[in-house]
Amino acid sequence: MSKPLAPKPIDQVVKLLEQRFGKLPVTISQTATDANIDVPPEHFRAVVEELKNHRDLAFDFLRNIVGIDMLEEGLACKYQFFSYKNRQSVQVTVLTPPGNPHIPSITDLYPAANWHEREAAEMVGLVFDGHPNLKNLLLDEDVRIHPLLKAHPLQKAEILQGIEDTTPGFPF
Amino acid sequence: MSIWPEERLRALADDGFETVDMTINVGPQHPATHGVFRMVLTVDGEKVVDCEPYIGYLHRGLEKLTENHDYRQAMGWWDRTDYLAGMACEMAYCMAVEKLGNIAVPRRAEYIRVMMVELSRILSHFMFLGAFGADVGSFGTSFIYAWRERERIYDFFEEVAGDRMFPTYFRPGGVQMDLPDNYQDRVRWLLGSIRQGLEDFDGLLVGNEIFVERCRGLSPVTPEQAIAWGLTGPCLRATGYKFDLRKDEPYSVYPELKFDIPTGTTGDVFDRFMVRMAEVWQSTLIVEQCLDALSQMEGELVLNPDLPKTLRIDSGECYVRTEGTKGEYGVYALARGGNKPYRMKLRSPSFCNLSALREMVIGTYVADAIIILGSLDIVLGEVDK
Repeated sequence: MSKPLAPKPIDQVVKLLEQRFGKLPVTISQTATDANIDVPPEHFRAVVEELKNHRDLAFDFLRNIVGIDMLEEGLACKYQFFSYKNRQSVQVTVLTPPGNPHIPSITDLYPAANWHEREAAEMVGLVFDGHPNLKNLLLDEDVRIHPLLKAHPLQKAEILQGIEDTTPGFPF
Repeated sequence: MSIWPEERLRALADDGFETVDMTINVGPQHPATHGVFRMVLTVDGEKVVDCEPYIGYLHRGLEKLTENHDYRQAMGWWDRTDYLAGMACEMAYCMAVEKLGNIAVPRRAEYIRVMMVELSRILSHFMFLGAFGADVGSFGTSFIYAWRERERIYDFFEEVAGDRMFPTYFRPGGVQMDLPDNYQDRVRWLLGSIRQGLEDFDGLLVGNEIFVERCRGLSPVTPEQAIAWGLTGPCLRATGYKFDLRKDEPYSVYPELKFDIPTGTTGDVFDRFMVRMAEVWQSTLIVEQCLDALSQMEGELVLNPDLPKTLRIDSGECYVRTEGTKGEYGVYALARGGNKPYRMKLRSPSFCNLSALREMVIGTYVADAIIILGSLDIVLGEVDK
């Protein structure tokens, strides 16, 4: 086994991303721990394919997917990727417009995305187009509530689920 | 008629005889599922042809609760995720809050934290060793062997924090209070007991030919598969891929400590078992170094004294990852003002390891599927959040 590579500083990763994605309508910034790319949903697939397949990037590992309710801005979805080869990490942020929470699924590129996407779908109501099996994972299978939406109160009699039923996604 | 079953079956099939796949429901209440977990196996004879896991029976809405509590109050929810190693979860949570709020941690507190986290790792791994022995069929013996060491560590935790499983001992900016006066002797005695316990396990399980034969070569995983499925922690290292966040993305005082990363070769069930055995040994070495370091800084602060009564964080975003006991325990945190986080998300290693279960059990025997599930070392509090 070779010597472990040191993790790359964030600004180096940012520079690398700017070279690769400068032409696309993306915004590159940094969070407290990682580099961050803001991508509109229509360019998301292209960016992820590039992240996975390009030799200098080689983000082979999907760490995590977070769905966030950004209130009037719409629903956000954050993906944390890691490259075992280059020891660098990146976060991809997709902000979907209100009323249209559709994001293409990446389960074909990263099998690990399967459960993460199901969780984000049930918790905030994102819809991942092309996911093979987008049913509830942690919640009861026939419940149509999205508990991590800010509009969902902390305490509520979930037992009255028949009254609370809505269509998946929007409107809550 | 032939005496060979395959030929008999073929002869029957020629006569229009058909076999039908059977569905077996394992769980939610089942001793082999280590909690409330259910999987539906489709079997053809003794072979598993499909497996569908169902989780969520222990879902308590951790993330929603965290969004609705003060930064310090929410701590109590987090050691209930991986309840076999509560302190390791507290560490990740506190690191996330400290990253958002730029909070400094005194060095003595860092060493205390690392020591307690490594003791938690030993707790969790001993639980695995014991429960896995029970899965494979040694019934209660290995379980009780594991319990002996666990009880002794829990007694120490009780003395330190006042609680055994859910200590809530860490705080953003340090730890709640200093260690008890006699901790040096207590922990050194504990380490001797843990090493003896490891030796006992070595004789009881690794020295047992039936155990070894059942585990060796079962469900081998390559590093490429492990990375694609999202396996982390001991399950990844068992494939021979040397990656440990304590070394590769170092945090806290781990860069100052000397320890090895044990790896396997084939990624089969036996390697996963042996990697965890070796990790317990490495953890005892880390605890020893922490004790030496702590003895040099007696009486120093253990909690940042400059913190306000209520933590308020204006804005910030981070994804903090630590080497939890089961793999990469990550916490995504987003602050947008106020005394509560806007969003906190747990990336739980058990959840991600379990999502690979289907790929791992297809094609194995039903009895082996139980062992493969056991070798992933899931804890349902963490899977279901």
